[in-house]
Amino acid sequence: MGTSMETGGGSSESPVEPKKGRSKTPRKPKESLLKQKSPAEFFAENKNIAGFDNPGKCLYTTVRELVENSLDSAESISELPFVELTIEEIGKSKFNSMIGLVDRERIDEELYDDYETAKAREKRLAKEARAQEMQAKNAALGKKVKEQPAAKGMKGRGEASFYRVTCKDNGKGMPHDDIPNMFGRVLSGTKYGLKQTRGKFGLGAKMALIWSKMSTGLPIEISSSMKSQNYISFCRLDIDIHRNIPHVHLHEKRINDDRWHGAEIQVVIEGNWTTYRSKILHYMRQMAVITPYAQFLFKFISDTSDKNVTIKFARRTDVMPPVPLETKHHPSSVDLLLIKRLIAETSKQNLLQFLQHEFVNIGKAHAERLIGEMGPEFSPKMPIKSLTDQQIVRIHQLFRQAKFDDPTGDCLSPAGEYNLRLGIIKELHPDMVATYSGSAQVFEGHPFVVEAGVSVGGKDVKQGLNIFRFANRIPLLFEQGADVVTRTALKRINWASYKINQMQDKIGVFVSIVSTKIPFKGTGKEYIGDDITEIATAVKYAIQQCCIQLKSKIMKKMQAREQQERKRNLSKYIPDATGAVYDVLREMAQLHASKRKHYEEEDADILKKVSARLITKDTLTEKLAQHVEKVDYEMALEYATQSGVSEEPREDIYIQTLESENKFIDFHSPIFVFRLIS
Amino acid sequence: MADTTKAKKRRRADPESSSSDQLQLPFKNRLKPDSVILESLHSLLKSTSSSSSTSSKPLTLSDLSLSSACREVTDLSLLSVQSAIESLILSLTHSILSGRGFSFNVPSRAATNQLYVPELDRIVLKDKNTLRPFANNSSVRKSTITAKILSLIHQLCLRSIHVTKRDLFYTDVKLFQDQTQSDAVLDDVSCMLGCTRSSLNVIAAEKGVVVGRLIFSDNGDMIDCTKMGMGGKAIPPNIDRVGDMQSDALFILLVEKDAAYIRLAEDRFYNRFPCIIVTAKGQPDVATRLFLRKMKMELKLPVLALVDSDPYGLKILSVYGCGSKNMSYDSANLTTPDIKWLGIRPSDLDKYKIPEQCRLPMTEQDIKTGKDLLEEDFVKKNPGWVEELSLMVKTKQKAEIQALSSFGFQYLSEVYLPLKLQQQDWL
Repeated sequence: MGTSMETGGGSSESPVEPKKGRSKTPRKPKESLLKQKSPAEFFAENKNIAGFDNPGKCLYTTVRELVENSLDSAESISELPFVELTIEEIGKSKFNSMIGLVDRERIDEELYDDYETAKAREKRLAKEARAQEMQAKNAALGKKVKEQPAAKGMKGRGEASFYRVTCKDNGKGMPHDDIPNMFGRVLSGTKYGLKQTRGKFGLGAKMALIWSKMSTGLPIEISSSMKSQNYISFCRLDIDIHRNIPHVHLHEKRINDDRWHGAEIQVVIEGNWTTYRSKILHYMRQMAVITPYAQFLFKFISDTSDKNVTIKFARRTDVMPPVPLETKHHPSSVDLLLIKRLIAETSKQNLLQFLQHEFVNIGKAHAERLIGEMGPEFSPKMPIKSLTDQQIVRIHQLFRQAKFDDPTGDCLSPAGEYNLRLGIIKELHPDMVATYSGSAQVFEGHPFVVEAGVSVGGKDVKQGLNIFRFANRIPLLFEQGADVVTRTALKRINWASYKINQMQDKIGVFVSIVSTKIPFKGTGKEYIGDDITEIATAVKYAIQQCCIQLKSKIMKKMQAREQQERKRNLSKYIPDATGAVYDVLREMAQLHASKRKHYEEEDADILKKVSARLITKDTLTEKLAQHVEKVDYEMALEYATQSGVSEEPREDIYIQTLESENKFIDFHSPIFVFRLIS
Repeated sequence: MADTTKAKKRRRADPESSSSDQLQLPFKNRLKPDSVILESLHSLLKSTSSSSSTSSKPLTLSDLSLSSACREVTDLSLLSVQSAIESLILSLTHSILSGRGFSFNVPSRAATNQLYVPELDRIVLKDKNTLRPFANNSSVRKSTITAKILSLIHQLCLRSIHVTKRDLFYTDVKLFQDQTQSDAVLDDVSCMLGCTRSSLNVIAAEKGVVVGRLIFSDNGDMIDCTKMGMGGKAIPPNIDRVGDMQSDALFILLVEKDAAYIRLAEDRFYNRFPCIIVTAKGQPDVATRLFLRKMKMELKLPVLALVDSDPYGLKILSVYGCGSKNMSYDSANLTTPDIKWLGIRPSDLDKYKIPEQCRLPMTEQDIKTGKDLLEEDFVKKNPGWVEELSLMVKTKQKAEIQALSSFGFQYLSEVYLPLKLQQQDWL
């Protein structure tokens, strides 16, 4: 949302302006280098800052931008989201036919980058022969044959892979006439207030469109319908990057038979499924964790059917977190530019009203005191637009020094403990899970809320720590090492003190941070730094709270296991113990019988019985076993009375509603109906 | 023990070789002739033997009227150990037959049950006991192992033979699982029976070695420790077969590390300055501690210690001096009073200009150990030690004995130790 948008905004009119620049200094030839860039151009040239580093990452970022747009759109009309994402691999010849290019056979082989010279070929064949020999040897020795990596087809620069990415949702849709501008123009954010948003840059599908323009040149296709509309808007367009305007190929209204509302966006881009497959799947899975009220259908389609993937992430709840509210800026979080912008855009007339209404946590009395503090040239009634630059600097200085109440977290929309918990259970099926939702805290004038979940056990979870990070309810997958959550879980939590084995247990750590401004680090905005004490402390506290809950559960479990295994464990040692005692008794009995040693009466009696085999090892074993039995019974009774009937708190379960078209076969009986769903 | 011709040759050879590299060895020029140094050692010996003769009988626990009851063990004959075990087993049998199961009442060796007695200058065990019932999940293992060890010791008594701790462990690997478990229970058993561990006829493998001006009999064979080659004589694991100690040494040199010991033994340091050199190669075992005590008591020699300048060096010194917590029940027999800290002390690092590259920074753990040691009574009683240790914790630097090798491998035996002795620089 932030600064990058503003740069875009400031120069968005640039295409009209260059004439002016040239006319001013016509004689300096160097001036042509100072050509102004359109925002679209800026992002095309610096696509890495928006997460478009390489073809693989581009595919990944395209997916997430589309999915996040869809979720936002559905949530904005309080509709439970249903998102269908399809990635279709497009072979080279298919791609060529799509753009109307005829496949050409190579004639001059040596011209190509992947041409294999005779020498290279010799080398490769020798290597393959060696590998085969090794394999044969290993097979003969009965060793497990390691799968030979399939000889990588030499991939030249020309061998790009192309994908058609389609994302369909049940969201708000877009007004028919706005569609070209919403996609075909990188615009400044005119949003006035401050809001917790999913997107990192607010570029959404526009960046995907720029990338498609750069890599395939194919246009984007948009279908959309709003709730009240009886038609579907269809639009095919691409973007004129230099002029930052949409270039519409087709824009028409089509019939809407299904009363569908939402948007379907289709874009063809260059990508790399092989290397980013797991990242994309992880992203979908983690998205399902943090958004359990949404339903996702993910499909990957290619010509080779064994590569195809279809995953359905089912909805588990119909409780949706509220839509984040727009809020005003906190005085301690604004900078000089922002104050100027607020002044330019405000509808308020004088300074007092401006302070009182354009910021949070400044009441009327407080505003008056602040104005008094600013100096004699300030007065409550002075017109806000008349402030000089120096006066604005003075206001900014005072904002930085004065004390204000912390902003409340009311404007935030955390996932909620319930949703986080459900998400974890749904996707990981852990043995145990605990969640905690912290109260709102503040960093540099922006409120934030930390929620955490810790799970133990589960399917598809590896041993040790598995860390899942979320910022403003989207998963973070890259640059995990330096992140505040990773560092905290790894270094500052003493897992052993919660009876959790950091190396052997399958631990899932989920931390979701929401804020009006997430303090990301790194160019790709992929992690939150470890150097912010407020956040680090809140994260640690939240994880610890989960661990405390888990500890009591784990202790209970261990106790129960001990109960079950006590008798077996004790009985295991009976032979060893009685054997040791009996060995000494037997030796003593011999000494006694040979009169080499004298014993007291009662003891002598026992030794006599040992000699006469009236007391044997079995006697001792039997007696000790009886004792163990008795103790076990007593302790079990004590455990039962102590633990009583304390049950786990019950949880609501969510049962998905069935589609109404289903036909049922009913079996009626006087007391119930048995309904078969066909 | 008399100077052999070979030793004479060596002694003559030494000054020659060292005079050539005199310039390289710092502080060498400060050394006075050996006769002066020997003079100072004689005075040390005199003061030691006179002080030990004045206090005719060493203090024992019973002489003191301590507020809390303490426990000590004594050497018991094989027969009394056997009887003790038999009566214990009989009481267990009664208990089992009457359907009450069984349990052991074991003296606790936890840190909270330890007490440092300044009058005795050693740690003793207080009288707290812990019950070890069989029919309990947490103690079933230990009580079974205890019964097993008792039965094994009983067999040793009947046959009057010695076995090692390792032998004991291998009699039932499945039950004991690892040797630390059987070793720990063995100490419990000697506590429980009120006898020393050597009375149980269980010994540890040889670890310590001794070399120098000492003659003693080992199981009837006379041993001359000057004629044991470079490695010296291994200290016999059971002290009861050691006797007839004789020596013309002026002091006993206790060395922490094997490396320093080998250097001194090879250089025949004990011939230049008559002494007995002992090492246990790290943490001292029971045999070495018993042997050192026996030498000190019978020969009335002063003991000087050469340990690393780190918290562990001082810790090892404390184990020789006032006993370990693990074996505090037998501290009366295991500790050697009045050990002097000769080196390497933290103040030596600057005094002898040990180069920076040979000093190591202390780790967090080191510093913590150092600070903990400062709280220990046996350190506090000696103001000199407190000063040295505080300096170590402050500078956060440690150095091993081997750091002296930076001036040449023989710097230790030719300059450092003679100079230390000459200056009577011990605490």
